[in-house]
Amino acid sequence: MKAEKNFPLVRCAGVAKRYRKGSLWVTPLESLDLEVPRGEFLALMGPSGSGKTTLLNLVSGIDSPSEGRIDIGDIAVHELSRRKLAAWRARHVGYIFQLYHLIPVLSAYENVELPLLPDGQSKRDRRERVEAALSLVGLADRMHHFPRELSGGQEQRVAIARALVADPELLVADEPTGDLDRESADSVLALLRNLAEEQQKTIIMVTHDPKAAAAADRLLHLEKGRLLEDQHVK
Amino acid sequence: MSSKGLINLIPLAGKQLLRHRVRTLLTLLGIGAGIFLFTLVESMQGAVSAVTGAQASEATLVVFRENRYCPSTSRLPEYYAEEIAQIDGVREVIPIQITVNNCGASLDVVTFRGVPPELLHRYAPEIEVLEGSLSTWQKTDDGALVGKNLADRRGLKTGDSFAAAGVRVRINGIIESPNAQDNNVAYVHLPFLQQASQRGLGEVTQFNVRVEDPAMLDRVAEQIDDRFRSGESPTFTQPESAFFARAAQELIELTRFTRWIGLGAVIAVLGLVANAVLLVVRGRVRENAVLQTLGYPDRAIAWLVLLEGLILGLVGGLLGAGCAWLFLHFSHLSFGNEGQIMAITARLDLVLRGMGIALILGGVASLYPAWVSVRRPIVESLRS
Ligand SMILES: Nc1ncnc2c1ncn2[C@@H]1O[C@H](COP(=O)(O)OP(=O)(O)OP(=O)(O)O)[C@@H](O)[C@H]1O
Ligand SMILES: [Mg+2]
Repeated sequence: MKAEKNFPLVRCAGVAKRYRKGSLWVTPLESLDLEVPRGEFLALMGPSGSGKTTLLNLVSGIDSPSEGRIDIGDIAVHELSRRKLAAWRARHVGYIFQLYHLIPVLSAYENVELPLLPDGQSKRDRRERVEAALSLVGLADRMHHFPRELSGGQEQRVAIARALVADPELLVADEPTGDLDRESADSVLALLRNLAEEQQKTIIMVTHDPKAAAAADRLLHLEKGRLLEDQHVK
Repeated sequence: MSSKGLINLIPLAGKQLLRHRVRTLLTLLGIGAGIFLFTLVESMQGAVSAVTGAQASEATLVVFRENRYCPSTSRLPEYYAEEIAQIDGVREVIPIQITVNNCGASLDVVTFRGVPPELLHRYAPEIEVLEGSLSTWQKTDDGALVGKNLADRRGLKTGDSFAAAGVRVRINGIIESPNAQDNNVAYVHLPFLQQASQRGLGEVTQFNVRVEDPAMLDRVAEQIDDRFRSGESPTFTQPESAFFARAAQELIELTRFTRWIGLGAVIAVLGLVANAVLLVVRGRVRENAVLQTLGYPDRAIAWLVLLEGLILGLVGGLLGAGCAWLFLHFSHLSFGNEGQIMAITARLDLVLRGMGIALILGGVASLYPAWVSVRRPIVESLRS
């Protein structure tokens, strides 16, 4: 694994995505090339409708490209069947949503445990992982609280713990601070920064907030389905 | 996904059901009502087949007056008993005088069977005396041995006295028999009943005949009827189950008809569960897509939906079938018609069947919703 250290974790080559809308075709992404090295924290910006979410969906394997190839590590993700993709996602990607999407009837602990359930792990193994993930996001003491008892920032951190619990190398986050006040946003960004630095997670984050983008190692702009700029912010 | 994974998801499905408490409760109530009805109907059908189903081992004939259907109009001379006893293949004959408090269809029929007291045990050794004693009864002119169902229904105990159809008796014992009819009647002394019912000595309602070999049933019946055809009181002889089926024909037809109610209840439960689970799935499109994003395979999502239907079915079935059991157990329901009685008892096998059906219905009703939950692309559901 050490030898691969400099080999990019995410490689997109000639990726296009087209959707059918009635008789029209929408093309959110067109011949896109992207490489993200391991351990990099990448920010993606761009106007609404420029295809940012679409790109995250392709990289995280919840959607498949119309053209091109996507390799994550040594897996050709674009070739996987729906079923294999699900199994791959469970181990290799954590997805963080703008609106957290926690299940309201489950406690923080149970929400974080969700990704581990279908795997058939023992309760004890699950407990270890869930507690580790919650400690990592600084919410070990809020384990038994329900989402309605948590602030937005705390909910997002629970969602991050949920994304982390299976220990994936890749995290994708779609406007993770979009719904948070400045203070909570900063603490979430600091957490992501920390995950990249200390845990060597590779993170791709979509954001509209230049201040959030500044927390990343690199910033890319998407415009009409193409990557425009490539600048290192750090 | 491993089988352990499938099990891990069960508590999640349960918690999801608690999310809409009122909706879940109403659904359970509906399922419970449907399964309650279904179990009652099945119990009634079960009672009919218990009394009319001819078994290969059936060896009892009932000799009745030709063209008569009600016990009060069937009159036969008691001395026929000796003549019947001489027919080839007859093992035992017992003359029976029947007095009924209500000859029509009723929920509370009391039937007295007057028999020669010294003959009862020889004729029907399978009758078991649960409390009291046979010998006391044999010595008590106005004594009665009361069948278990009748005793339960009327709350009768040994030592009580009770009256029905103008006949007052003292209870010497409670009996139980594998023969369903015995459990619904009171056995009294024949001469006592003949006098009490102002029929007069020497006259009875019917003869019950046990043949030596079930295979001889039809031949013996024919011989009995042939023997009395030209007499003043011609007879009509049938196997006991067929006799019951004829005497209680309307009752049986009515009961058979309730099958449709049972079917209706089943369909209603199916629709109810399907609707409830479909509502759940429709309201959880985005949440399921989130689970899929977390790596849940389609099977896990569909299984979660199926589980909710199964849990609804199981709990609703438990509720409905359990209530049906309690209801039947404590109400001692029995239908009587023309002196024939059909007791509807709480049978554990039918209660279990009700629960099983509820579980199956819960599963079947969630198949379509389960498919709905996984048919759309994840990204589309996430955007909804
Ligand atoms: N499943 C889909 N079906 C049809 N059209 C889609 C689908 N997903 C995305 N699109 C279209 O693709 C384009 C890009 O969408 P996408 O969500 O990727 O934009 P975005 O950059 O994330 O925008 P925003 O900043 O508003 O979130 C839009 O025009 C959108 O309508
Ligand atoms: Mg978007």
